[in-house]
Amino acid sequence: MWPPNTESRLSKQYNDCLQLHRFNKLTWIGGKFGTSVQSYFVFLKWLLMFNVFSFLVNFGFITIPQLVYDFSPNVPNTTSFRGLEILTGAGYFNYTVMYYGSYSNETLEGAVDYKMQLGYFFTIAVYMVLCGIALIFSMASSFKANYVLADTTSGGAWQLLCSWDFSMTNERAVRQRKNNLRVQLKESLSEKAQRKQLTSSEKLRHFGIYLGAWLLSSSLTVGCGASIFFLCRYEQLHMSDTGGWSPHQEAETLLVPFMVSLMNMVVPLFFSLFNKFEHYSSQRRQIYVLVARNVLLRMCILGVLCYYWMNVVATEYSCWESVVGQALYRLVFVDFIFLLLGSFFGEFLSNVVGTRLLPRLGIPEFDVARNVLEIIYAQTLAWIGIYFSPLLPAIQILKFFILFYIKKVSLMQNCQPPRRTGRAAQMKTIFTALLFFPFFLGALAIVGYTAWSLTPSKHCGPFRGLDINVRARLRIVSFITQSLDFKMLFFILQEGKDKSFLLEKLQNLQKSQPNIRSKNHKKVGIPSLLARFS
Amino acid sequence: MGTTASQLGKDLLSEYQELTFLTKQEILLAHKRFSELLTKDEKDVPNVRVPMERILTLPELKSNPFRKRICLVFSTSEHKDGSLTFEDFLDLLSAFSDSATMEIKSHYAFRIFDFDDDGTLDCDDLQQLVNCLTGETEDTRLTQDEMRQLISNILEESDIDKDGTVNLSEFQHVISRSPDFISSFKIVL
Repeated sequence: MWPPNTESRLSKQYNDCLQLHRFNKLTWIGGKFGTSVQSYFVFLKWLLMFNVFSFLVNFGFITIPQLVYDFSPNVPNTTSFRGLEILTGAGYFNYTVMYYGSYSNETLEGAVDYKMQLGYFFTIAVYMVLCGIALIFSMASSFKANYVLADTTSGGAWQLLCSWDFSMTNERAVRQRKNNLRVQLKESLSEKAQRKQLTSSEKLRHFGIYLGAWLLSSSLTVGCGASIFFLCRYEQLHMSDTGGWSPHQEAETLLVPFMVSLMNMVVPLFFSLFNKFEHYSSQRRQIYVLVARNVLLRMCILGVLCYYWMNVVATEYSCWESVVGQALYRLVFVDFIFLLLGSFFGEFLSNVVGTRLLPRLGIPEFDVARNVLEIIYAQTLAWIGIYFSPLLPAIQILKFFILFYIKKVSLMQNCQPPRRTGRAAQMKTIFTALLFFPFFLGALAIVGYTAWSLTPSKHCGPFRGLDINVRARLRIVSFITQSLDFKMLFFILQEGKDKSFLLEKLQNLQKSQPNIRSKNHKKVGIPSLLARFS
Repeated sequence: MGTTASQLGKDLLSEYQELTFLTKQEILLAHKRFSELLTKDEKDVPNVRVPMERILTLPELKSNPFRKRICLVFSTSEHKDGSLTFEDFLDLLSAFSDSATMEIKSHYAFRIFDFDDDGTLDCDDLQQLVNCLTGETEDTRLTQDEMRQLISNILEESDIDKDGTVNLSEFQHVISRSPDFISSFKIVL
């Protein structure tokens, strides 16, 4: 019934909001390329939020007190700002608040007495804990929503049919999806027919190839790790400890990040090559194995680098935290350049080749798994780097921001929707689980180990001169607990208890009252229900 | 558009919000888009019914392979012609919304896939379903053999009581094992 005379100001306000909501580009991407591509961009945005929060917290609680206390960086006369700093993070930047080394270890007098050591430690600790909690919640909620991970009928016909994306609105995309679905149905039919005909000798052969591929990829991974370690050693032998590097030497520091990024780009291509020779029972297992190998490669390289930093750099350099911070800065920056190059070669050039030179190849697909792994790795670098370089999140924000728009443009100009449909919900769970388990926990372990077990450098940074042994650690803990205002905490906890008691009472009251218009009736449909109450 | 007659009252809005899975914003947006489909004379008619051809001009439904079935399933008209009132339209959006439960979605999916409306999915329904999703023309369809093989695979997967058809509970059972379904069975304006 159109109510004639009631004008609603609400609806006018809502109309204005809705205009903005309608033109949500991400929904448009989902409509054209499918939900799995959309989930990549949503994931990237989510990680960007982590970095914004990190930057605000670090800048507010660590950098601003330091800047207020001592505005000008104490740069020696020999170094001045050259353009190379942006690339290497060393030189002029070494003496600014960019790195751990420039923070004081005193109690800063001012409007409030600010204990820098406590501030530094707590800011980083609280941020990491909050990140961990956010990740756990996100994992739990998406796992709960998509709890069916064990797929007994993987690739079954019903799965394919019921994964039709009803939110696709683009005519051409729908046609493409139909084509892909037809191809997939035919493939699953032939696969099922073939599965019945495998003899035991063929199974043995497949297993042998599979084992061989794993051996090859493991040896490649170990080889990469070892070569990175030796490269770091080589670099160390050629560098002096204190500052005063010539531009040539500074440029040489870029060698290790360059090799790391090059390996991360090239070796997965070998893994994809091995994948082509192996025989998998389902498409999903193939993707999982590929992702597992890529993850192992990146973790191995990161692990070797961390081992080098913790064991060699920490003992042989004077202001070693800043050195590690600079190394991470370089890794982040070179990784960014390689991501852009990867987008250029992987998407733009492939499109040109696929449409003009070799039409047989066709338009490239947007490889969601590879792109997600790349941003997870980038975020891990930022997480490790927070302790050594509090302002690294700023670089990360810029990186992700630019990457978001470049990838969006590249997607729309160069790519077609992925051929394999569906699995978007499970992929989100897997991405978050991947983010949390190996990468976040690894970063947390590194930072924790550094803060707790490694001797801080004697002449720079907020923890300078602290000798780490059992008595010193106990002293730190007692120092922390004394400084915390326990009365305040107790008061907050009590308030919380009262509020939860009230909420429980309210809930019980609500449950005891009968609720006629419960949502269970919605199955019936509006017209019949309205008829009942009009 | 712009006359006060076609604006939704606050109490009606909250009633709709109670009865569907949609938020206030979504209902208002649906109202706006539905009103755009009406001609000038129809705007003042209460409970106006919009014929299927005009509903199918909505961009969200235009390219959907199941557009006609969707309209037929949600239509409450006695002639079974797929025409929708505003409340039918809200019903549609509610079933396809983000917050609708798995039961609602699988219930409606079953009805949409049941092309002959007999309450079960038999071989003809399944054949029409596959053809809807793979292509309408002769050269894009599966061959007869492939179709037969596919349908027997489907029945093998889901037909628990082996009666040659898939009823609602068997369908819901097989759907519950597919977590992608709930996120892909979505239409958002």
